[in-house]
Amino acid sequence: MQTDVMDREFVHSGHVGCPGCGATIAMRFVLKALGEKTMMVLPACCWSIIAGSYPQSALKIPVIHAAFETGGATATGVRAALDMLGDTETTVLTWAGDGGTFDIGFQALSGAVERNENFIYACYDNEAYMNTGIQRSSSTPYGAWTTTTTGRDWKKLRKKNIVEVLVAHRIPYAATASIAYPEDLLRKAQKAKNMKGSRFLHIYASCPTGWRIPSEMSVKIARMAVQTNIFPLYEVEDGLRYTINYKPREYLVREYFRLQGRFKHLTDQDLDQIQQMVNEDWELLLRKAGERA
Amino acid sequence: MIMNESANPNPLFMPRTYLTTESNKTGSWRFARPRYDEKTSPCSAACPAGEDIARIEMLATQGLFKEAWETILLENPFPSVCGRVCFHSCEDLCNRREFDAAVAIHSLERFLADTAIRYGIKPDLERRTPRKQKIAVVGAGPAGLSAAWFLTLLGYSCRVFEASEEAGGILRWGIPAYRLPLTALRHDIKQIEAQGVSILTGKPVTAEMLEALKKDFDAVFMACGHGLGMAMNVPGENLKGVGEGLDFLRQIRDGQTPACNGVSAVIGGGNTAVDVARSVVRLGGKALLLYRRRRRDMPAFDPEVEMALDEGVELQELMAPVAVAQEEEKILLTLQEMMIAGEENSRGRIVPDHGKIHQVRVDRIFKAIGAQAVEPWHQPDAADRDMLRLTHTVLNRRGTGAVLVFGGDLTNATKSVVHAIASGKQAAIALDALFQEGVEAVVPRMEACRVGDGQSLSMEVYLGGERRLRNPHVVRYEEINTDHFQFIPRVTQPRLLKEERARSFEEIDLKISAQLAMKEAESCFNCGICNQCDNCYIYCPDTSVILERDTQGRHINYDYCKGCGLCVVECPRNAMSLGEETP
Repeated sequence: MQTDVMDREFVHSGHVGCPGCGATIAMRFVLKALGEKTMMVLPACCWSIIAGSYPQSALKIPVIHAAFETGGATATGVRAALDMLGDTETTVLTWAGDGGTFDIGFQALSGAVERNENFIYACYDNEAYMNTGIQRSSSTPYGAWTTTTTGRDWKKLRKKNIVEVLVAHRIPYAATASIAYPEDLLRKAQKAKNMKGSRFLHIYASCPTGWRIPSEMSVKIARMAVQTNIFPLYEVEDGLRYTINYKPREYLVREYFRLQGRFKHLTDQDLDQIQQMVNEDWELLLRKAGERA
Repeated sequence: MIMNESANPNPLFMPRTYLTTESNKTGSWRFARPRYDEKTSPCSAACPAGEDIARIEMLATQGLFKEAWETILLENPFPSVCGRVCFHSCEDLCNRREFDAAVAIHSLERFLADTAIRYGIKPDLERRTPRKQKIAVVGAGPAGLSAAWFLTLLGYSCRVFEASEEAGGILRWGIPAYRLPLTALRHDIKQIEAQGVSILTGKPVTAEMLEALKKDFDAVFMACGHGLGMAMNVPGENLKGVGEGLDFLRQIRDGQTPACNGVSAVIGGGNTAVDVARSVVRLGGKALLLYRRRRRDMPAFDPEVEMALDEGVELQELMAPVAVAQEEEKILLTLQEMMIAGEENSRGRIVPDHGKIHQVRVDRIFKAIGAQAVEPWHQPDAADRDMLRLTHTVLNRRGTGAVLVFGGDLTNATKSVVHAIASGKQAAIALDALFQEGVEAVVPRMEACRVGDGQSLSMEVYLGGERRLRNPHVVRYEEINTDHFQFIPRVTQPRLLKEERARSFEEIDLKISAQLAMKEAESCFNCGICNQCDNCYIYCPDTSVILERDTQGRHINYDYCKGCGLCVVECPRNAMSLGEETP
């Protein structure tokens, strides 16, 4: 990684992200990697607000605010327009939350990547509709409290594995990344930039407000998600070649769950079950990466 | 076909932003305030010389060996010596111990000193403007030379009077070459002289001469050490064949090879006793080390005891001498076996195990049970209540004559090289405060330059250097963000083989390469000090850590900082603090 990449900055101060916002850290990293020749498509998400209300902008690159379900389609159009202008240098980046990716924007995304449209789709995942008031999404993990999964009705369904869905489209590049691992994240964003076709980045971005964690812990929590194998760091090329980027020591998921208010209702038994689910997913990933027979 | 938008009679309305969010001063959200707050590393607080170890390791990691070496010199003029013979209490308190293993601080100190020698580096240390007072130092051991070094840095002219024909004191005459080669010691002393200290060797100071010195100088620092062996108080201890361990070591360092045939009994459990026994082995004899307590109670450094046993020294624990007698060609040593009757001061309390008497026939006996001042007037009068008694020195400013300061082994509770250096530094600071501001200033000045919460003093702080800005809080292991560190095995000190050791006085510890040294230095947490890792900048969600080229390298823009505290938590080394926001 070039050192000056980390030194350049495309996010202004004064944005209205919550203190300790992981999505903002993710944005800073990705834009550092992609550089100024980037156009952003921003479907409805937290960042629609963070980016500033008219006539302000928190970003130093052009942004198109788009409807919730149109992240994939709008990017397709922007790319086509740039191509018609002969501009092949500019990177088109869709920056969407988990709601706009896993749920509402899913068909546009699937359609665009099926056509192998030439753009990067980055989903910063904070595991619920945080901007509208912490409603559960299909990215919300098993066991979580949200304002629509309250009390004993905490979410008892698994989180959708979005990367595997994208991998199934056999796109050139799909990768997970975390705000707690800047070098890895920047490397993946730069790698994606230097490729053609549909590229997908799934970025783990903690949310102090929605996860009920202290703001200063947001990076620590994101790091623990990787250390516990809850959110493994890996990349897949052409839907086939898996590389696991980080092999953690045997940290227990319990540590990660205990620190977050959204999981405080879980019993030891629940946590044991979650540990099993995580182990199962990790084994599956190891097999896909060819590291288990 | 591309339509020309400007030709459209009903142009498309495109709301375009033209301001940044920087008009929102989000700093008003803040109720906690992060700040750069460098703290004290536990190693530096544990070092009696108060060396700025966390910074030394940081500079060494960056390959700034000269700067690292100068950082040592500012607190300790003996890096070559201390890198070899210091008992490195710094490593005992290293926070890295709880993670994997302590950083090999002493190996790095020695590496930096060796590097400076190898490349003939001269230190660029600031010297204060000359002061008019002149100071005499009695004894060119570690305490005396340190006092002279620091007083010279403070602008005073110093003259050191040494009885022996070469400077160094215990370092020159009492520590064997396999632990401290002459070249290493001579380099440190040359360095001290190059700073402007004049050392007069072969000049023993008598009681009359001391009176003369008190007239000619404004202060006299007494650092003549403990050169007289203690008596065992047993019958026959003055027989021929019973000698002082220190005298034996001195003969060897004088270039002689005293006879060591047969068995030599060495009485004692300190470093001198171990050194004598190991020297006996090297001269071809058999050494029997007799100690009245257990091995774990021995004041000698444990690795030294371990190596002594490897080299063939025989240790008998719980043996106290009760009588010495001549028996034909041999000496008959009668020993009382002791037993443990409890613990006191974390050592075994011993009482005679009645009826258990042993006798050994040996060829000679070396006593190494401690030493005392050679002359009673070397010592400060314990009954004198007017003396200013500091932790490592005693000041006597009676009457109008010169100030008399006692230091080194004469006043130190722990008699070690680095405590002697601490004493020399304390004497220098005390005298400067006394001369410049008067006696009332001595204690407050001393307090102000303490490292952390301990007794060590920092010359850099006293001189008003950047280190004075450090928070005295000593960083604890729990305050380190260990997520940012990896397990690294500690460097293994390369050593001569046991077989090579047992027949020569060659230095045992070999050099480590620059590559190994830098790797070892890199493993340092740099507890409490900023090493410009930029984590605060990297993780700030509000782009409120601004990079700049000042000494800190960055500052917090409080106009926008929301006080989330991420920078403080993600700082790997606790060089930041989060405080309450005051309206």
